[in-house]
Amino acid sequence: MEFFLTDLLQYTIDGALKGTLYAVVALAFIVIYRAGRILNFAQGEIVIVGAFIIWTFTSLANFPVWLALVLSFLASIFLGLVVERVLFRPLVGQPVWAILMVTIGLMILLQGITLIIWGGQERPFPLIFSRDPVKLGQLIFSRSIFLGGIISLVVFLAVSWIFERTRWGLKLTAVAEDHRVALSMGISVKKSIATAWIIGCLLSTYAAIILLDGKILALSAAAIGLQALPVVLLAGLESIWGALLAGLIVGIGSSWAAAYLDPYTDGAMSEAFPYLLMLLALIIRPQGLFGWKIIERV
Amino acid sequence: MAYIHTRPQMACLVIFVALLFLLPQLVSIRLVGVMTVMAIICVAVVGLQITTGYAGQINLGQSAFMGMGAFVCAALANNFQLPFWVAIPAGGLGGALLGAAFGLPALRIKGFYLAMTTIAAQIMFPLIIMHMPDRWFGGALGLKLEPATLFGITFDSDKSLYYLIMVSAVIMIAFAFNLTRSRVGRAFVAIRDNDIAAEMMGINVFHYKTLAFFIGAMYAGVAGGLWAYYVRYVGADQFTLYFSVWYVGMLIVGGLGSVVGAIFGTIFVRSLQEAMTYLGPFLTELLPQVAGAQVWFAGMNILLGGAIVLFLIFEPRGLYHRWCLLKTAFRIWPFPYL
Repeated sequence: MEFFLTDLLQYTIDGALKGTLYAVVALAFIVIYRAGRILNFAQGEIVIVGAFIIWTFTSLANFPVWLALVLSFLASIFLGLVVERVLFRPLVGQPVWAILMVTIGLMILLQGITLIIWGGQERPFPLIFSRDPVKLGQLIFSRSIFLGGIISLVVFLAVSWIFERTRWGLKLTAVAEDHRVALSMGISVKKSIATAWIIGCLLSTYAAIILLDGKILALSAAAIGLQALPVVLLAGLESIWGALLAGLIVGIGSSWAAAYLDPYTDGAMSEAFPYLLMLLALIIRPQGLFGWKIIERV
Repeated sequence: MAYIHTRPQMACLVIFVALLFLLPQLVSIRLVGVMTVMAIICVAVVGLQITTGYAGQINLGQSAFMGMGAFVCAALANNFQLPFWVAIPAGGLGGALLGAAFGLPALRIKGFYLAMTTIAAQIMFPLIIMHMPDRWFGGALGLKLEPATLFGITFDSDKSLYYLIMVSAVIMIAFAFNLTRSRVGRAFVAIRDNDIAAEMMGINVFHYKTLAFFIGAMYAGVAGGLWAYYVRYVGADQFTLYFSVWYVGMLIVGGLGSVVGAIFGTIFVRSLQEAMTYLGPFLTELLPQVAGAQVWFAGMNILLGGAIVLFLIFEPRGLYHRWCLLKTAFRIWPFPYL
């Protein structure tokens, strides 16, 4: 019984920490949506591009870690600005499906470009946190994910403060409701979308650090973009704290499914669980736990 | 209004169909193979055009519905020895039922959320197939098929398969042309334009949305059955999200909202793919740091992503719109406008 409880606690906290990682990627989604009504399917690829940039600065150029991180964050800001300028500025005011397809096109384009620039072989990602695990009594956690979880909480507080307490955040929210109305109020939609992309890319690079610290860097890690989508939908597309809560729910649920249901289903349940949860959420409550409910009138 | 207004138009149609069926005698075997695959994908993309272009329901799971059709067709052919002209429509029905099941949520959700549901279907499809009993769908190994037979003719060469598949494709596409000009087609377009207004005008939106998914997925299922008899092997990794995105890309390139657009898009994108395959060895020399097969994969990705993005920014109405402009310019030449 004692082992069962310790194991349960271990799985739960492991799941919760993994969940905060998904929540950070989901937050990048939600920030980009909340400031420009853009649903960004390319989020996983942006995480990977950030990871490759970090790898280039640390392993190829051999800069010290802190310099590499600062340069990588600057590079991701640049990436966000380029994407916004080239892809989304021409599409302001277009219907939803056009913007959706552009992000899907961007996802595939980034996959190809990453492969061409950096090649397809696997390489080790630099170790930024130390390798010793964190021990709490009988529970053991990997240091990067543990510290990542704590820093993520701070990040969530910061982003939530920007959106809810500053004038700037109010402008971004206005753009999310309706591009044309915001324009007529004198809010620059271009600047809002650019700001959102910058924040989104910064969050993605941060998520890349936590996810891949000390592990192997391969193109398949981009799957986290699609894995974070259930978190986004469960939370509702506009809610920041909802992302954290949904991330925790999905993370803990997947962890329990992996621990207790996988032996019966050959590992399928932990993969399918987030999507099943998402389907359930979509059918019962389409706007997610905390999203805005849009009322359409004819 | 008829489709064919003048005698020259009828003559063009007859010549076109005749050329289609004389093709294997005139060109190389490789081109026949390319055309065969193009015809199969055309059927799937026309189905997607009905769901997404005419009814406005974004569907990113078309490849999963195609896979369902392929597996049902293969399982029926192997376990019950059904002939192909029963197995392929049965595969179509199988795909259609899966499509309708994932379109049911369309009652409550629309737009992006519906796209997410179809993505979920697409991602869960290989997981479900591989965990079904081996006797049904072959488990992780997939299913092998015997070639199709009809009155003693065995369809196992490129030419015979070309005829089988081209006849099926022509039938399905003709049906699509007729569907879009019927009451059902008009209901679809009304729902695409504004589904709340359509409901108020008396169109049963739930019924027609489910029907849109059913018909689109049926096309995908038939395409899957044809694919099964062409490749003679069905595996879950032939039907992934990657292919679904290719199909929607073909729709965007060709133009949403017309069957001809779907055909144009398929031909254009498949030709680019074949050109890419042909140029593969040259590109491998140009870019040595990307090993062998990955240059092809990367090149395809850049091609697909680039095509989607460029068409959406510069010509969102697709090649069909350009074709209409060309026809009008030809008709009113030398005047710039009438």
